[in-house]
Amino acid sequence: MTDFVQNTLDGLMIGSSYGLLALGFTLIFGVMRRLNLSYGASIMVGAYLGTLVYVQFGAGPIAVAALAVAGAVLAGIYVERLCFAPMGPGAGIASMVSSFAIWMQLEQAAILVLPRHTYPYPPLAAGEPLTLGPFMVRLDHLIMLVAALALGTAIHLLLYRTRFGLALRAIVGNPVAAHLVGVNVRAAMLGAFALASAIGGVAGYLVLAADQQITPMFGMWATIKGLIAMMIGGLGSIPGALLGGLLLGIIEMNGQWYFGSQVRELAAYFLLFACLVLRPGGLLGDAPARVTAAYGPRA
Amino acid sequence: MRLASSLGCIAAALMTTGVVSSDAAGPRVKADVSCRPAAEKLQYDCAIKLTDARTSETVTGAELTVGADMPSMPMAHNVRPAKATATTEPGTYHARIQLEMHGDWVLRLDLAGHIRDRVVKSLRFEDDLVIDARKPGRPSPPHKH
Amino acid sequence: MDDYLIGVLSNIGVISFIALSAYVLLLTGEISFGQQAFFAIGAYASGIATALWHWPLGAGLAWGGAVAAAAAALLGVPTLRLHGLYFAVATLAFAEMVRLLFELFHYQVLINGELVGPNGAEGFRNIRYIFDNNIGSTEFLVLVYVLLSATLLGFSLLERSRLGVIFRMTGEDDVLAELSGVAVARYKVLAAGIAGALAGIGGGLYAHLTTYVEPRIFDVMLGVHSLAYGLIGGLGTALGPLVGVLIDIGVLESTRWFAGYRMVVFGGLVAVLLIVRPRGLFDEAAVRNISRAWRRISSPKRRLSQTQRKAP
Repeated sequence: MTDFVQNTLDGLMIGSSYGLLALGFTLIFGVMRRLNLSYGASIMVGAYLGTLVYVQFGAGPIAVAALAVAGAVLAGIYVERLCFAPMGPGAGIASMVSSFAIWMQLEQAAILVLPRHTYPYPPLAAGEPLTLGPFMVRLDHLIMLVAALALGTAIHLLLYRTRFGLALRAIVGNPVAAHLVGVNVRAAMLGAFALASAIGGVAGYLVLAADQQITPMFGMWATIKGLIAMMIGGLGSIPGALLGGLLLGIIEMNGQWYFGSQVRELAAYFLLFACLVLRPGGLLGDAPARVTAAYGPRA
Repeated sequence: MRLASSLGCIAAALMTTGVVSSDAAGPRVKADVSCRPAAEKLQYDCAIKLTDARTSETVTGAELTVGADMPSMPMAHNVRPAKATATTEPGTYHARIQLEMHGDWVLRLDLAGHIRDRVVKSLRFEDDLVIDARKPGRPSPPHKH
Repeated sequence: MDDYLIGVLSNIGVISFIALSAYVLLLTGEISFGQQAFFAIGAYASGIATALWHWPLGAGLAWGGAVAAAAAALLGVPTLRLHGLYFAVATLAFAEMVRLLFELFHYQVLINGELVGPNGAEGFRNIRYIFDNNIGSTEFLVLVYVLLSATLLGFSLLERSRLGVIFRMTGEDDVLAELSGVAVARYKVLAAGIAGALAGIGGGLYAHLTTYVEPRIFDVMLGVHSLAYGLIGGLGTALGPLVGVLIDIGVLESTRWFAGYRMVVFGGLVAVLLIVRPRGLFDEAAVRNISRAWRRISSPKRRLSQTQRKAP
């Protein structure tokens, strides 16, 4: 039983970063009704920038974090300009495949600059893990959880207390109507992309700082985890994204502990598959009908 | 129905290939590969020792070509197959390969000429050394109790 | 022909199968990120058939295709309700599950004193059929292209047949198709099965070409690539995916200058292409224009009679 609770605690920690990744995905999806497959890759670009300054100039964790986020945002804007902004309303598949092509491009570009299999990342918090009774909580994992909750709350406030957030919600509701009442839809979409990339950059930094290393597989990993967590929690739902992330984390940690790492991954995908087949909207998400409109016939 | 006839075409094509199956085994070659980083970045010098798997004799005079591919991204790389040259030691060949990135690669040793075979070796190529590829795994945050 | 060229052409031929597999599903309006699962199933099944059960190659390939088709049809049923993005992610999840299951799959048989067979994450080595039976690389190349040509013949027949019309109708608007009397569910499962069979045969060919497969090969990258080929080359004709494969493997493989930057260049090209032509190079409109122009060129009699009519 102790193991299960410990696993669940660990799962909550790592799940919070999955939740942040899912948050970025769902923000883009909610506003643009399209899937950005190069989300993980753009985060990786930022992360590689961070590790570059760490390895070359010995920068501290704050500088690394700032550059990781900045790099992710720049890469995200590049993706938005190339793969999403120029596409017409019916080109859902095309922009998705385009974002996949740019994922490949960004990944190879990063590997060309830093070709080694693994690079170090500065740790976030050194020191002994906290003990609460029979359970252990690593400091950096705790920071991850706190940061995720803080960021989630900040996003919520942004969406519900600012004009920008109002514009985004209007677009999510009905893009044409939003345009008609004077919302600059294109600018808002760019802003949403930048915001999502920033969130992803933070999430990526937290995971890498806890792991203390980065490998070229990171882009793929971040994309898959974010995607799964988003689908479980429900497309287009912010609390759903965080919830999906936490759930994914818990199931993964327990799966790995009891059955090994392959079963851990298997469990994650099976959960996703089951969710999709049984309850496509996810736990808290939009009804599938609205989603189909974007990806439906001749999308 | 036309579709049925085209499916029939495909089935017929399939059946005519390899109608004769044989248990007769061709030559089997075993290879010991050791690679070392060469002068330039991502370049490696490989010494390959070929022996006959059944008789344990060394294989001499084989035309050996060394190709490489990454299992995680099949056919995604453009690594020109390198022709191996014989060295003074019988059965040992030398090839210089140029890779595109570090990591796990699968080396494909193609033999032509009087012995035709293919041997596949999984190796991990790092900056400073080359080792047998370990089991693949995804990066995951350490899960310690 | 030198060995390198034969190798590249063989690769193009084999990958075309999985590209065509994704294309079949795109015809019916569904995006699949999971065809690599059936590629894998075909590879393992046919490899087991020839290497462990000593079947002839043709039977092994057919077996691989059949098992893959069955698996695909089986997947088609629970995913009938899903559309668009949900379907795409469901296929991705399924494909990853298949890949992970292969990492846990062990089935080894003692042959001639050594263990042969799939060995989990270490993969399936020694699929040596073409070496044991002295099939040269040129002969295998011919086999691949004979099968590919037969498949293309099948596609051209499909495009002219009622089934082809049904597929495209379902792709355009499946609600309308249902209302017009098409049993959409049945045809979607049929399409899934055909796509699975194609990917399975391709997988079998791949396994025998390289003599070695491991689960890592069949990951998301392969799946999304196969989808991308159709999107790049165009969805108007079965030649579209082949054009996509040709562009990716053929052109960029042969320009040494691009070597390390291949994906940087290719990725950028694809993104720009998709801005200009969201349904690929040879999309439906282009194919229609080309066939119209062809008809005009190849029937001068009609034009002559028109000018005769104009003359007083």
